[in-house]
Amino acid sequence: MSTDYQQPNVQTQVRQEGGAGVIIIQGEVTGFAEDALMSAYTEASAGATPVIILDFTGLEYMNSTGIGLLVTLLIRAQRQQQRLLACGLSDHYRQIFDLTRLNEAIGIYDSQAEALAAVAAAEGR
Amino acid sequence: MTTRALWRNRRRQEDAPSASPAPPAAAPEPEAEVPTGAILPLDIPPGDPLLAYLQANQTSVIDLQRLTLDSDGVRALRAAGVRLALPLVSQGELVGLINLGQRLSEQDYSSDDRRLLGNLATQAAPAVRVAQLVRQQQLEALERQRIEQELRVARLIQQFLLPKSVPAVDGWEVTAHYQPARAVGGDFYDFIPFPDGRIAFVIGDVTDKGVPAALVMATTRTLLRSAAERLVSPGAVLEQTNNQLVENIPPKMFVTCLYALLDPATGHLVYANAGHDVPYRRTRAGVVELRARGMPLGLLPNMHYEQHEVTLEPGDCVLLYSDGLVEAHSPTREMFGFPRLQAMMGEPADGNLVPFLLGRLHAFTGPQWEQEDDVTIVLLGSRPDGRGPGGPGETREVLAHFELPSRPGNERLAMQQVADIVAPLGLPQGKLDRLKTAVAEATMNGMEHGNKYDETIPVLIEVARAAGDLTISITDRGLQQPIPEAISPDLTAKLAGQQSPRGWGLFLIQNMVDEMHVTTDEVHHTVKLVIHLTEGAQRGTTE
Repeated sequence: MSTDYQQPNVQTQVRQEGGAGVIIIQGEVTGFAEDALMSAYTEASAGATPVIILDFTGLEYMNSTGIGLLVTLLIRAQRQQQRLLACGLSDHYRQIFDLTRLNEAIGIYDSQAEALAAVAAAEGR
Repeated sequence: MTTRALWRNRRRQEDAPSASPAPPAAAPEPEAEVPTGAILPLDIPPGDPLLAYLQANQTSVIDLQRLTLDSDGVRALRAAGVRLALPLVSQGELVGLINLGQRLSEQDYSSDDRRLLGNLATQAAPAVRVAQLVRQQQLEALERQRIEQELRVARLIQQFLLPKSVPAVDGWEVTAHYQPARAVGGDFYDFIPFPDGRIAFVIGDVTDKGVPAALVMATTRTLLRSAAERLVSPGAVLEQTNNQLVENIPPKMFVTCLYALLDPATGHLVYANAGHDVPYRRTRAGVVELRARGMPLGLLPNMHYEQHEVTLEPGDCVLLYSDGLVEAHSPTREMFGFPRLQAMMGEPADGNLVPFLLGRLHAFTGPQWEQEDDVTIVLLGSRPDGRGPGGPGETREVLAHFELPSRPGNERLAMQQVADIVAPLGLPQGKLDRLKTAVAEATMNGMEHGNKYDETIPVLIEVARAAGDLTISITDRGLQQPIPEAISPDLTAKLAGQQSPRGWGLFLIQNMVDEMHVTTDEVHHTVKLVIHLTEGAQRGTTE
């Protein structure tokens, strides 16, 4: 066994870009990712950023507990009157977002650039 | 043999034979403090020169006072107040001594007395001998009764624990024969059914005989069964049983055991062996040994048991047996032996092989055979006309089965292993991804809700293919817990705080596969995931 699945196998990177807090997720979104994801969210929200973009390009695996974490983030975002966007999802996880109707609450974009463009467009309006 | 001379001191007048010319009663010497009415056991050690002297002077009346012999026996007799000793000899064998103390009159024994005593000794000796023989026989009869009783107990334990019937399995013929030796050896066999239809076949032999062997056999059987409740792989079952038995077995005892797990639907047989006689497999091509290395159970802790597997074809059979069969002797002390057994298995036999083998065994041993050890045979025969509930046409192929400890995160291993196993099927990427998610979710449910993340309880995963379907069965040991009714997760309700943010697992599984079936028995809880293999999937095209 090369990978230890009993610990967080996720890395997050937070950037402020174009009026949005971007969280770049690398690895696995499971129950183990809770702390990493929540603190990244806090960091990304600093300065009352109105939009948070979750970049899933580096997502290797997400399970039902991970989906539960996204729901928790959504609740947090609603309280803080933030919008949550996601990008870089594979076909498989896009399908899961469809099934769970997460796509109705989270704006889905193919790439980070598209998501940022959408944010800029919304601000310009 | 120690000769025990008894000297009874009878001082009371009424006990002494009246008007006896040869007084068998005597008063103690003044210097000898002998208690009144006592029986003084005098043990004369086998090497004492007195014995040689008595043997050489069988007809003499021996005067202890005059005897010049450096002997502890003589000194002991003298100390006990013995004056005269008469050897009791029957058929040339010294069987006892008549010992006399001083005459009551304190006169010396006359020559008439001595002659009379000589005659008495001659006549008493055979009677004493007969009495000794009777007593010996009584003791032996008691000992035999004790042994018989012990054997009855051993036989009872064994017969109580051996299976009352053989399992009825579609497409298979299972035959068991158990023939205990008079001394009751430690043979046993067992069948352990699994909820997914697989059956474990167990045969074993405990060293020693009788009640100790029966008790160790009972313990081993229980340990094997409890290991099989948690573990599927035969090697792991033997390993756990060994570790538990090592701590609970008397020294110098051990158990040989073969454990084979059959999937009757496919003929897939996985086996491991703890030093038991190697089973034979008969195929159309010939008879081969099913070898797997491993130490007997109960000798050393932390032993590893090799595990091997074969797939039995229709018409094949596997013979499990105990050493009582191969170590049976002919009247000329020739041993039955492995080569003979292997050769016999290869002979064309009509019908079941077991009666055929037993017939050959009895012809070999002859009618007067005193069976030295238990003879146990378990035969596992695949019917030549196919198998499986769907008849000969339908085949179910188990691609693999494995188990994982219930440890958070191990669902990732489950999904990777399943992905590797089904890789040759060339499933389209989307279908494969959905299957992986379903496997991971079902495994997680099993580890978390069924097994409560108890690492000693594994989740069992079987990947099989039958009639255009790919089936993944994931079994936990949820006992009789009710399966929580799946609440359809609703995002709006979750966001409004009316449902927990979690609770997506079952929903995902249902939506990731073509069919999902949940079955439970008294111990296990199995989720079966079914994927229809379309033409496209089998050709390896992508969606």
